[in-house]
Amino acid sequence: MSASRLAWPLGVTAVMLMAWEMAVAALRVKTVVLPRPSAVAAVVLERWPLLLEHLWPTFYQILLGFVLSVAGGLVMAVLVVYSEPIRKGVLPLIVTSQIVPKVAIAPLLVVWFGTGDLSRLLLAFLIAFFPIVINTVVGLTSVDDDYIKMARAFMGTRWQIFAKIRLPHALPLIFGGMKISITLAVIGIVVAEFVAAQRGIGYLIVMANGLLDTPLMMAAIAVLSAMGLALYGLIVALERVVVYWHAPAETTAGGTP
Amino acid sequence: MAAVPDSVEIERACKTYASGLEALRDVTFRVAPGEFVSLLGPSGCGKSTLLMMIAGLVPVSSGGIRIDATVVTTPRADVGMVFQSAVLLPWRTVLDNVLLPVELLRLRRRDHEGRARDLLAMAGVEDFAARLPHELSGGMKQRVAICRALIMQPRLLLMDEPFSALDALTRERMSLELLGLWERLRPTVVFVTHAIREAVFLSDRVLVMSARPGTIGFEVDVKLPRPRQLSIQESEAFNRHAGALRRAIEAEEVA
Repeated sequence: MSASRLAWPLGVTAVMLMAWEMAVAALRVKTVVLPRPSAVAAVVLERWPLLLEHLWPTFYQILLGFVLSVAGGLVMAVLVVYSEPIRKGVLPLIVTSQIVPKVAIAPLLVVWFGTGDLSRLLLAFLIAFFPIVINTVVGLTSVDDDYIKMARAFMGTRWQIFAKIRLPHALPLIFGGMKISITLAVIGIVVAEFVAAQRGIGYLIVMANGLLDTPLMMAAIAVLSAMGLALYGLIVALERVVVYWHAPAETTAGGTP
Repeated sequence: MAAVPDSVEIERACKTYASGLEALRDVTFRVAPGEFVSLLGPSGCGKSTLLMMIAGLVPVSSGGIRIDATVVTTPRADVGMVFQSAVLLPWRTVLDNVLLPVELLRLRRRDHEGRARDLLAMAGVEDFAARLPHELSGGMKQRVAICRALIMQPRLLLMDEPFSALDALTRERMSLELLGLWERLRPTVVFVTHAIREAVFLSDRVLVMSARPGTIGFEVDVKLPRPRQLSIQESEAFNRHAGALRRAIEAEEVA
């Protein structure tokens, strides 16, 4: 992103933070209700070791949950496209299952799979996998028929048509799905940490809440958000390299967290 | 029996879709090796379907299609095809697009790269070999698509309204360039179009198709000298051919 495109949103953010800072001071809002941004920043600096200790497990579980979602989503999408029983039988179930707010299943997952990493990864997977499936299915099947005809006329096999035409054609949409998916993976892991965890940013937020330490809570949220933004940026950067021929595709599917 | 079999033989080819729609009825014609034949007709007359059948992409309902005396059931490596749009893969460079048929046939790329570059040079787009398709104009894209169709040195080149999406001036230039390529490489060409003057300018023979069901009603031997220049379109002979074809098409429409 060019400097000039960043300048406006950064400027607006700065103005909003300043307004917040001044409003809290002027209205004498209690710190436990709303700390000043400078106080939150100070906590981030002072308690950085503590934040980092809890950020790390959250970070790697988000990444792992995301990678599992992408891998599982791609496999499921290929099955949906190439297998009629799965397209007709399983895809409607996957779509309908999106009605269930998966966050509400979190306690149930803990009952079934314990308080360890597994139930957290599972929740992240359940939330983040859907946009990958839908976007990949749309990407693989939205190839203009002329391209398929062309490839067949030049003796392309089914496998070659998949590997050399459908899959590259789907890449912009797959990246669109990945951008939704990574933010959903963050939600999945943090919510699971709310429910049952001994460490992680979600755990830290709940703990700080219990201690009425609002500045620490907000510092944890700030650090978590920064990490989410960084992960999103990483995917955008990867997209620029992989999808070099095309502007980033608009995403076509969302998911209910 | 002639020593050299016809390049394309179509005998009483019919196409009826499952919906009951009769697209083609009793289409019969032959194309000699090296001949340039156009199929001329209004849209919806089944001329593109016929071309897809020759390409082995659409099965015939009855009747037969043979290429070099072999019945067509699937696409063949020695047939090149150009579509209405260029259908270049946007993530491949121009050179890689031209080499796509080589890759699909699992042949060695370096054995064909030299010829790919020669073809691009003949088509006047060699400077764009490393570019991506979106950097090219419509005419240049279609030139690349023609190079792709010629990379396996096809004996038969099938063209489905290849210039119909181009502006009039580009279209004329492309016709002239196509004739230049054809005179050098001499493949057999079956060219589908709905433009009368384009058909006359390019072809040795023009077959007029009527619609619903599509069938061949009229044929014109274009006896114009080659090599042809664009100025030939002003000649009396050219306009006589074009006039005959126009009247034939109008008669079909009235009938």
